[in-house]
Amino acid sequence: MGIPGIGQPLPSAETCAKSQDVERTPLRRLTRTEYTNSVRDLLNVDVSATADIPADEVTNGFDNNAAVLTVSSLHAEKYVLVSETLAKLAVKNLSTLTAGCDTAAKGEDACALAFAKSFGRRAFRRPTTAEDERQLLAAYSAGRTGGSYAEGIEVMLRAALQSSNFLYRLELTPATDAAAKRIPLNQFELASRLSYLAWGSGPDDALLDAAAKGELGTKDQVAAKARQLLAAPKARAAIGGFFEQWTSTRRLSITTKNSAQFPAYTTELRDAMAKELPAFVNDVLWNGDGQLSTLLTSPVAFVSGPLAQVYGVQAPASADGSPVKVSLPANQQRAGLLTQAGFLSVQGHPDQTSPVLRGKFVRAMLLCQPPPPPPADVDISLPTVDEGATARLRFAAHESAGASCAGCHKLMDPIGLTFEHYDAIGQYREKDNGQALDVSGEILATSDASLSGAFNGPAELAAKLASSQQVRACVATQWFRFASGRTEGGNDACSLATLQQAFDAANGDIIDLIVATTQTDAFWYRPQVTP
Amino acid sequence: MNPLRFTRRNLLRGGLAATAAIPLLNARHAIGDNVSPTRFVVFTTPNGTRNSLFWPTGTEKSFTLNQITKPLEAYKSKLTFLKGIKLNDSLQNGALGGTLGSEHARGTGGMLTARPLNAGKDFVSFGNTTSGWGSGQSLDQYLATKLAPPTKFKSLQLGVHVRDTEVRARISYTASNQPVPPREDPKDVFTTLFGGMTTTTPGGMTDPALARLWAQRKSVFDLSNGETQRLMKLVGAEDRAKLDAHLTAMRDIEQRLVGTPGTSGGTGTGTTCSPPTLAAADLGVDDQYLQAGKNQMDLAAAALACDQTRILTFQWSYSESEHLFQFLKVNNNAISGNHHAISHDFASSGTNFLAYNAIQTWYAEQVAYFLGKLDSYQEGDRTLLDNTVVLWATEIGESTQHDLTMMPYVLAGSAGGAISTGRYLDFSSARKDNNQLLVSIAHAMGAADLNSFGDPSGATGPLSVLTA
Repeated sequence: MGIPGIGQPLPSAETCAKSQDVERTPLRRLTRTEYTNSVRDLLNVDVSATADIPADEVTNGFDNNAAVLTVSSLHAEKYVLVSETLAKLAVKNLSTLTAGCDTAAKGEDACALAFAKSFGRRAFRRPTTAEDERQLLAAYSAGRTGGSYAEGIEVMLRAALQSSNFLYRLELTPATDAAAKRIPLNQFELASRLSYLAWGSGPDDALLDAAAKGELGTKDQVAAKARQLLAAPKARAAIGGFFEQWTSTRRLSITTKNSAQFPAYTTELRDAMAKELPAFVNDVLWNGDGQLSTLLTSPVAFVSGPLAQVYGVQAPASADGSPVKVSLPANQQRAGLLTQAGFLSVQGHPDQTSPVLRGKFVRAMLLCQPPPPPPADVDISLPTVDEGATARLRFAAHESAGASCAGCHKLMDPIGLTFEHYDAIGQYREKDNGQALDVSGEILATSDASLSGAFNGPAELAAKLASSQQVRACVATQWFRFASGRTEGGNDACSLATLQQAFDAANGDIIDLIVATTQTDAFWYRPQVTP
Repeated sequence: MNPLRFTRRNLLRGGLAATAAIPLLNARHAIGDNVSPTRFVVFTTPNGTRNSLFWPTGTEKSFTLNQITKPLEAYKSKLTFLKGIKLNDSLQNGALGGTLGSEHARGTGGMLTARPLNAGKDFVSFGNTTSGWGSGQSLDQYLATKLAPPTKFKSLQLGVHVRDTEVRARISYTASNQPVPPREDPKDVFTTLFGGMTTTTPGGMTDPALARLWAQRKSVFDLSNGETQRLMKLVGAEDRAKLDAHLTAMRDIEQRLVGTPGTSGGTGTGTTCSPPTLAAADLGVDDQYLQAGKNQMDLAAAALACDQTRILTFQWSYSESEHLFQFLKVNNNAISGNHHAISHDFASSGTNFLAYNAIQTWYAEQVAYFLGKLDSYQEGDRTLLDNTVVLWATEIGESTQHDLTMMPYVLAGSAGGAISTGRYLDFSSARKDNNQLLVSIAHAMGAADLNSFGDPSGATGPLSVLTA
């Protein structure tokens, strides 16, 4: 078991040079986030109506797993209604929308056709076909007949946004060689992959132009284009989104806490927690060294609103309410994203901390070695202990319960218990239930031998993780799942090797990792499937 | 707190305005005066039960309700307790791949599909067992397709504080890997169900602006569906199934969104059928669970009474729920722990023992409220509850054990006389597979030719004793 690079050897360069195998990505429906970003860029209007679209199902921590992204009746209904709301807003600014096409001079039909071509290209992320134009103009006619030109354009917008050409990221270029195992993506398809990778949105005109001119023909060209897209401001929310999902801090919006125990946990605090991680990631990526190790060790916080009080620091409020960077007191032993209040809140229960969830996060999402399931016959009752005991005492029951529990819990508990200085909303506490805390721990059974061993406190744990090759390989694998919208399969071994080796060679540079995605076979090819 | 009021003006102003007008007749008017339709409702509450306080005592026809189900006393003659239903072998530990996913996840995905979760590394359950999503169609979706009721909604999925979007939060599937999400916002449900009322002028004529919108929608639907069909020819089988599901969804919503211009919108003369008045409830606040639930239950009952749907799922929270119950007290103290943690406390006394019992009893009170709502709608000689079969279910049995061999399932209503009620059936000495219960429900709903449902490891045929 295990995944390539972690518990399983990576294939050799020689093997990969010859390999024609790639894994199939199921048809990718736009996620709600991708839909929202796409219509924001297409229409330049208030897109808050997209909140009516149902939240996407979460698989392996990520909401973009293509296997389960389908269109239910509820989705279909909301796609209709949301497209109507957005189209109505968009035609209020008709002249800007249609690039000033002068219907008096050119005629309405000519302007409608020009718009069908230009808008259709951006919405469908490729040049329009005669069939696309015929359809978009048919929708236009449904609005224009008995209505105004603007109404015609409005109905055309609805049709474009309800089209499967918009709602799915289609990759349909036919094979030129019927015997080939894999089909290279065409440059428009590559442009889409690039833009959703870097921006979580569709390609703009410039990127489509580059595809049209054949400027995405080589791996070097695509890498350079990826760096260019990542430098745009809209990359920040998209890349931040990966970290929010990877750490589960996106769940803050549905995370509740016992209001008697944690009166500080208000909507304002929750929102401030949610803003911290992306602010931190962006600071490290764009103002700092860009390294994973910094994300795991930096003793700083980004505070806004009531979050300063949770960290026990004073912070000046920024003019626009955005988070302000502050250093955290050394005695709190804070270290990077694992000790952020938002992370500690979601990796916990509504009424108490969860050393198991915190430890499990490290095993599953940083080491890619999730513990095996509890045995079938185990009594999963929680240990009964005297009120007032520390978590460490309570969790000692996992040991005393015998090998069936201890075997797995010793993989998680000694890691999770090191975070016990932080309560269920991430506030630092010297003691728990009036008792001193022992935050020593141990990492066992790793694939990277240098990672194994004892540590004392979260800062030491973070330092171990930050220098581990296994952690880099795991983060590269998590990124691969997010970037490709699926769980890795057997035919991804060479792509994972490319990604993990590039990330390691770049000393854990996140931007280099993202760019390396564009150098994998998984990015360039899809398997040939008989329709 | 201000009650929410949905005025005609508010509805027409919003982006969600203008769904098609369906006459708001009550169900008997809708399908003729003599026969009322039968309905199927799945009502789920999370985190199992405690057998010793759940099952009645006594015999099949003479039994006394136990502590947890005491709130159902008023409807006892309309209930059927089903002790000894087990999830089939494909969902059990150690057999036929049944270890895919944690018990909470399996019991959720298998509840209405009677199938195991898909294999794969896609999903790591709480217990770190890996699985994919549900692997087949759920009974509600099977019946919606098979019976194709002439209602505005072929089926309706409602939830209260479900919030989660993982395997453990989805009971309804159109097909493998195709979970159906519930609607959680009562305002959205209200608009969707009753927005159509506002589309006619006082004279009963279709608003001309809406007739125009419907015609435009129809054009766009036709274009979109035509394009999806064209794309289906270009993709492989798995993607084709996904696009086909999209087409099915479009067909499902077309009638209610496109309307039928030229026909009168109707005025809703049914005396027993009217939209409920909702009270505000913040969906993000655990303490407002009761009001959020009442809103959804009132809407569910109205949807059934108005024959807007005949197949409905109603989900409280998600399986393995960590919902808080600070609004309930035990020994004069608010319950502070979360439901799932409390559900694993195996002590037979003490704070968490009492807290778990209080929470389970509170959920039974909600079941009773919902049954009472249904029972308040008279339909000829029967009530709406009589004409419905409600399956009250949860994802596991005895909560401390994550048991899947004795599911705490209760039926309410007789599906129009098809099910013989007021009984406590005990199969515990010869357990029955959940497949058979699902077949029985299908029969009660009129899908008489169904002989097996779900994974073939489960027994076939109905539980004939239900109709005896």
